[in-house]
Amino acid sequence: MADKIRIKGRSVYPGCVEAEALVSQMPLQGFTNVDVANGYTVERRHPLFKVPYAGKVLVFPSPRGSGGFMMYGFGDKAPAAFVYNHATPLTVLLALQAHTPSMTDFERDPMEVIETGDMVLVNATEGYIEITKKSM
Amino acid sequence: MLNLTDEEKRILQGEEGRLKQVCMQYVAEMAEIAGAERLVDLDGTGDTHTPALALSQHYQITIDELREYADNGGRFKIPTFANKSPFPECAPMHGWEECHACVRGDPDTMFSDPAHHKKAQHEEELAIMKRMGLITTHSCANYLVMSYLPSIGQHCSWFESSQMPYCNATLGARTNFDGTFATCILGKAPYYDMHITENRFGTILVETDRLIRTDMEWDVYGFAIGEAVAVHVPVVTGTSRPTTTQYEKFNSAIATGGAVRMYHLPGMTPEAPTIEHATGGKPFQKQVMIDNKVLRDTYDLLNFRTTDVIDMVYLGCPHLNIVDLMQIAFKVEGKKCKVPVWLATAPWLHAAAKEQGYLAIFEKAGITLTTGTCPAAMGSLPAGVSCIAMDSAKQAMYITGCYPNDDNRIQVAYGTQDDCIDAALTGRWRGEWR
Repeated sequence: MADKIRIKGRSVYPGCVEAEALVSQMPLQGFTNVDVANGYTVERRHPLFKVPYAGKVLVFPSPRGSGGFMMYGFGDKAPAAFVYNHATPLTVLLALQAHTPSMTDFERDPMEVIETGDMVLVNATEGYIEITKKSM
Repeated sequence: MLNLTDEEKRILQGEEGRLKQVCMQYVAEMAEIAGAERLVDLDGTGDTHTPALALSQHYQITIDELREYADNGGRFKIPTFANKSPFPECAPMHGWEECHACVRGDPDTMFSDPAHHKKAQHEEELAIMKRMGLITTHSCANYLVMSYLPSIGQHCSWFESSQMPYCNATLGARTNFDGTFATCILGKAPYYDMHITENRFGTILVETDRLIRTDMEWDVYGFAIGEAVAVHVPVVTGTSRPTTTQYEKFNSAIATGGAVRMYHLPGMTPEAPTIEHATGGKPFQKQVMIDNKVLRDTYDLLNFRTTDVIDMVYLGCPHLNIVDLMQIAFKVEGKKCKVPVWLATAPWLHAAAKEQGYLAIFEKAGITLTTGTCPAAMGSLPAGVSCIAMDSAKQAMYITGCYPNDDNRIQVAYGTQDDCIDAALTGRWRGEWR
């Protein structure tokens, strides 16, 4: 398929999954600002306020705030995979909890390519993501 | 590729018992995820939430294993300080009798219920951990009462967003966000990020056109810088010399607006006698101007309200130090508050506040001095509160997450400590950006 865009990156946690992307242009904050039971962020004024992330590939630039950021990996409504530009100890804690495919340090900024609704294959075992644009 | 020493491999294989084996499994997996090549032997201090025997969803220690370890003389490997009141309740350790707020997920139980209070102390686990050396400081700002701070360059393992820059930037010690039962038992942590000198140099120059000198300015500036630099290490200019309170405010705000673990204040923080020391002699990758307009916009963002009617006041994020307690006591002495006021500090400072006479002043003014926790950690406020006044960017951002629904949304009036005390005495908000 010529319509797929492949970007190499570093595997944070191995595994392979394909799912729809949910993109947050803003950093994500956890602790009280993530609702694990409902599976969405509840940070006030956040573009993804109450937008469900269950089963999605959650794409974001970086984490911020409390160690409760790891709660994005909790519960049966957790994302299927995580894709982010900047790894920090907060994303390490997240992967340690979530045990789902996670990737960072891409050769090209994935935020410039992936839009919400695109299909994203996260192959964190072999170290790449592959994007199928929803418009194609 | 993670390389473990022979000693670490023996622990991983279970030769020193299952408890240490589980701890090593957890720390080794953390190191693999972090991309660390080795572990570092900690020569500083540890900070951990308690009892937190579930290291993660995948690694669990039982209370029987804990007891057996302690019975056999097992100890924490490094000086280990308790953060906050015990999990998962995060109940107040003092002043709980006045905290008529529902327990998270259990609307029929209040934090003021004696049975809940007793259960939330987790006395059995904590008694065992004390035998192992746990120091029961129970505070997000436990560095205020540790009486044993790490020195410059010492490797630590702490766990609280506001503590990351406190340890790294303010003290010049080295920590990542990984202080857990496991790292404190082993005295080892993954060697990456802030343990490594080159990751600590400043890469972004931050400037402002306003002299940052009040507590609120430090708080707002910190939040704005966090939003602007995200995960990078800023070199921050344009400020007065911070007080201890201002360091507390700045560190908690910068690690709420962003994920800043390290910054430099040239001429003030220990690793930055000069800008050249702060950057390691390298040019800045970026310059950021946090001008008066950005600060004003940040102040407006932290305020989240449509009313001037205040139902409650909270001061103590991060936990109040003894000078904060003194200043508040002086401001409310002989007065009576119109709305509920909660203060929060470290449990060990409760005795100090009593000794100094502040506790009696607070009680006469109708103020509750709580310890060990905060409304955001408790996850609730008393019924009927719809707009709470506070002086903390961090608490202002997290309390609203506890009430995300339209039918019981919490509003926040954010301002100075004086604005909050005025609101406590009058029930009205008169704070504004000046």
